[in-house]
Amino acid sequence: MTLRQRHGGGGVLSSPRSNSGRSNREEAEKASILLRGRLSSPTFIFQPLCHDSFPDSNYSKLKFLISASIKEACNNSLLLLGPRGCGKKAVLEIVLEDLLLECPDALTVIRLNGLLHGEDASALKEIARQLCADHQLSFSKTASFDDNSQFLMAMLRESGLAHKTITFVLDEFDLFTQGKQRLLYALLDAVQSVTSQAVVVGVSCRLDADQLLEKRVRSRFSHRKLLFLPPSESEVQRLMNHVLSLPMDSSILLDYAAEFNKKLQDIFAHASFKEIIQTFLGSFPTVMHLKTFLFQAISSMDLDLGYLTLKNFSSSISCIQRQPKIQALKDCSVLELYILVCMKRLEVKEQNSYSFNALMREYKSIHDSFQMSDFYSQQMCLRAFEHLLQCGLISFLDCKGRSQSIEFRSVKLLVSSAELILGLKSHISCPALLHKLAS
Amino acid sequence: MGKELSPQSARRSARLCSAAKHSNENDAVGKEPSGSCCPSICDLVYGEEPISFDHLLSSFPGRSSQIRGVLQLLGPPNSPMLPVLIYGGPSTGKTSIILQLFRHLSRPFVYTSCRTCYSPRVLFESILNQLSLHRPNEDNGYSSAKRCEKPSEFINLLRDASVGLVKSLKDKTVYSKTKLSGVIDGNMVYLVIDNIDLVLEWDKSSSILPFLFSLYDLLKVPELGLIFISSVSPDMFHSATGSLEPLSIYFPTYSDEDMRQILMRDQSNRKLYSSFLDAVLGPFCRITRRLDELSTVFATLFTQYCKPLGDKQAVPNEDMKRRLFSHLQPHISHCLSETFQITEKVPLEAETSKTSGLKRGRKMLGSSDHSNELDFHMCTSARYLLISAFLASRNPATLDASLFDSYGGSDGRKKRRKISEKSKGLKEAEEEESLMKGPGSFPLERLIAIFQCLTSVAEDPFEEQEDPEGSLSVQSGSSALASTLLLQLSSLCNSNFIVKGGSCPLEGSTRYRSMVSEDLALKVAKSINFPLAKYIYRG
Repeated sequence: MTLRQRHGGGGVLSSPRSNSGRSNREEAEKASILLRGRLSSPTFIFQPLCHDSFPDSNYSKLKFLISASIKEACNNSLLLLGPRGCGKKAVLEIVLEDLLLECPDALTVIRLNGLLHGEDASALKEIARQLCADHQLSFSKTASFDDNSQFLMAMLRESGLAHKTITFVLDEFDLFTQGKQRLLYALLDAVQSVTSQAVVVGVSCRLDADQLLEKRVRSRFSHRKLLFLPPSESEVQRLMNHVLSLPMDSSILLDYAAEFNKKLQDIFAHASFKEIIQTFLGSFPTVMHLKTFLFQAISSMDLDLGYLTLKNFSSSISCIQRQPKIQALKDCSVLELYILVCMKRLEVKEQNSYSFNALMREYKSIHDSFQMSDFYSQQMCLRAFEHLLQCGLISFLDCKGRSQSIEFRSVKLLVSSAELILGLKSHISCPALLHKLAS
Repeated sequence: MGKELSPQSARRSARLCSAAKHSNENDAVGKEPSGSCCPSICDLVYGEEPISFDHLLSSFPGRSSQIRGVLQLLGPPNSPMLPVLIYGGPSTGKTSIILQLFRHLSRPFVYTSCRTCYSPRVLFESILNQLSLHRPNEDNGYSSAKRCEKPSEFINLLRDASVGLVKSLKDKTVYSKTKLSGVIDGNMVYLVIDNIDLVLEWDKSSSILPFLFSLYDLLKVPELGLIFISSVSPDMFHSATGSLEPLSIYFPTYSDEDMRQILMRDQSNRKLYSSFLDAVLGPFCRITRRLDELSTVFATLFTQYCKPLGDKQAVPNEDMKRRLFSHLQPHISHCLSETFQITEKVPLEAETSKTSGLKRGRKMLGSSDHSNELDFHMCTSARYLLISAFLASRNPATLDASLFDSYGGSDGRKKRRKISEKSKGLKEAEEEESLMKGPGSFPLERLIAIFQCLTSVAEDPFEEQEDPEGSLSVQSGSSALASTLLLQLSSLCNSNFIVKGGSCPLEGSTRYRSMVSEDLALKVAKSINFPLAKYIYRG
């Protein structure tokens, strides 16, 4: 039976009350879809960290700041800083969601992203578009920069009069600082006036993001910063529990969900699972990595078996801990390995820059002293050299000089010598001479 | 070898089939609620009949773990997925496996390649066109559905288009279960972006790449699955401030055993081909492990291998294998040194055309033929010009006077001696520098001066007999000379023997650079009996 047929056969709710193996598979499929949905949602995994019960958490602080400016009709500006994947944006989204539930009429959210709206003109246009969409106004695509900024100022004034807070979320805040910072100036300047009621929230993974601001912009910024850190080990445990446990009140069979959760707890308690988590956190500390780790584990779940096993997690960690350089080295042909070793020897000789021609001289000298069997013409070596360039094991030193032909441009090795030796060892048909030459 | 063709043919067939569908499935699909007579959602599914999982596995030898891996990440129908990056060297079956996988799953997908979509705008518009089921044709003046250049516009349009598409997919699965359940599975739409490594070479790659990789988070449409295909490893995409890393699946190059299995496919005489592979696969795999290169070489080598055989279906015995192998041996060694040049790889073929000769010259490394004769035609003055360009690139301009001036000959020798007295380390450094710098550039005047010196030096009667026209043009020495010379120069430039460099910042005139290797230059000199070695300055 093919997978497709099986999938096609599994109707949504065909026989929910039978306990045979077939329905087990159906339940497993449903569970897998549910868990995948949780992981692909940007905020779900962060929910355990967002409770009013922790007054010191970033969630509580952020909620207090924004709700204060709603209730007291004041302006505010702050930066959320921290490494990528630690939930800056997710926590902010949860806060905004909660506040929108509490007071839906008093809050408008404008979301911008530095990747998309780094230029002032496109940012203003997007602000105007979102404001128009929020207030059921018609948006003109052809409006000029000036029109849009006037519109923004007018809207800020109007919403200040109506006691409505506009929250500007500037994701990838550092990218907004690249140009003349006119948008930032306009926003932060508006925040200074008493007539408006706005909050500007910058989100950035650069801890020095406020240093990137111009003087006139920096003096208008409140210098409130919230730092987001990777989760602690106990928090990770809590997050995993939150994401992977099946709910008891969904369309999934109750028996199955209970069994699934019980097995999950068994895995969590297992000593080797703790070891896996330890090694995982050693190299990947953030929640984003935890997400990919769990996603990989869930997608490798055997649907016929229907439950997560320890093996899913161990295979997932081996998937994540890939070493692309070693893999690429394994794929090289013998001639390509020779070229890499020649480059390494040139680097050991402390030649700070060398080109393909220098490389060929080294190759010939190796051939002369060792009489190796793998001696090929320069043309073949050039071809192999191009392959290495393509797979990213070596690269040109400078991006300029494209007019010059490949042989004369200086190159550098992109693998460390330890990686090279490791790669040579794991290569199937690496000649013994190369091990000797490389070490 | 059949496999090698499959990515292209699959891509093409996907497109062809969707085009064909347009005409013959109109009546079947046209009655759908949202269905107009234009392309329908069904076009987003792989055109042909779905294939079984076993067939999929058997058509890609050595790839079962990768196929399973991708299938697991895609998950059961209607399950959201995180972005996936598929990477591996060229010709490892990335694209064809993904396309065939979607044929197996019969889920709707959109395929774009950054090779055909060479700029952000073309890429964005191609994705939007396919998602909004718009096909540029004669009626709409081959225009796109939406004009969009900036990522900020694209993201809004893409969100609208995919939400609309997913909605209509959901409607269809609810309302017309009978008709479409066989055609489309699930209401996820997948976006496949191929050759994403080419974006690295775009102008705005530093902003476009992070944008593409964070597309999923920006869109917030969980029903749109993203699949990136790249031929370089994910660490090439790291940017300064980092970005979200997609899940990745690695396609390694094939092992020797898999390679044999793939090459054996579609062979009529498997025994014969197997014995052929015994002879060639080992040595060639030491040079390259890329299947596309190997298969092209083997195709021509195999015809050579079969030449002594009368009967192509013969089953080879040990004796015959040995005989065939000894026949093939010279061809193998030739192929090994000739970078798989297919056009004229057989040394026995004496007949070589001018174009192929030029092609070889374009390799800039000289041909490895051992005969004295050049294997391409070139008139004598062009040969002189080639040599003088080579000298102008090779020698420092300060030495020109001492080398070519008959009075200054002694001076030049003195200079040379002086240099040889310098310390060895300095000399090595200089040599290194010249290796690094490559051929030097020179202005046109210097080239003409050297050319005239050379032609006046080599005034032996033999040359005049051989090519009176060339010497005539040399001796006339007026505007006629200059014009023919310029003609020759431009033809040499066109055939890439000489490259036009940037203009000189002081004088503003164009500078040239000779791309001829020393071997080739010596050979050209030999063909006109010119003692080139005497004139090359060796530091």
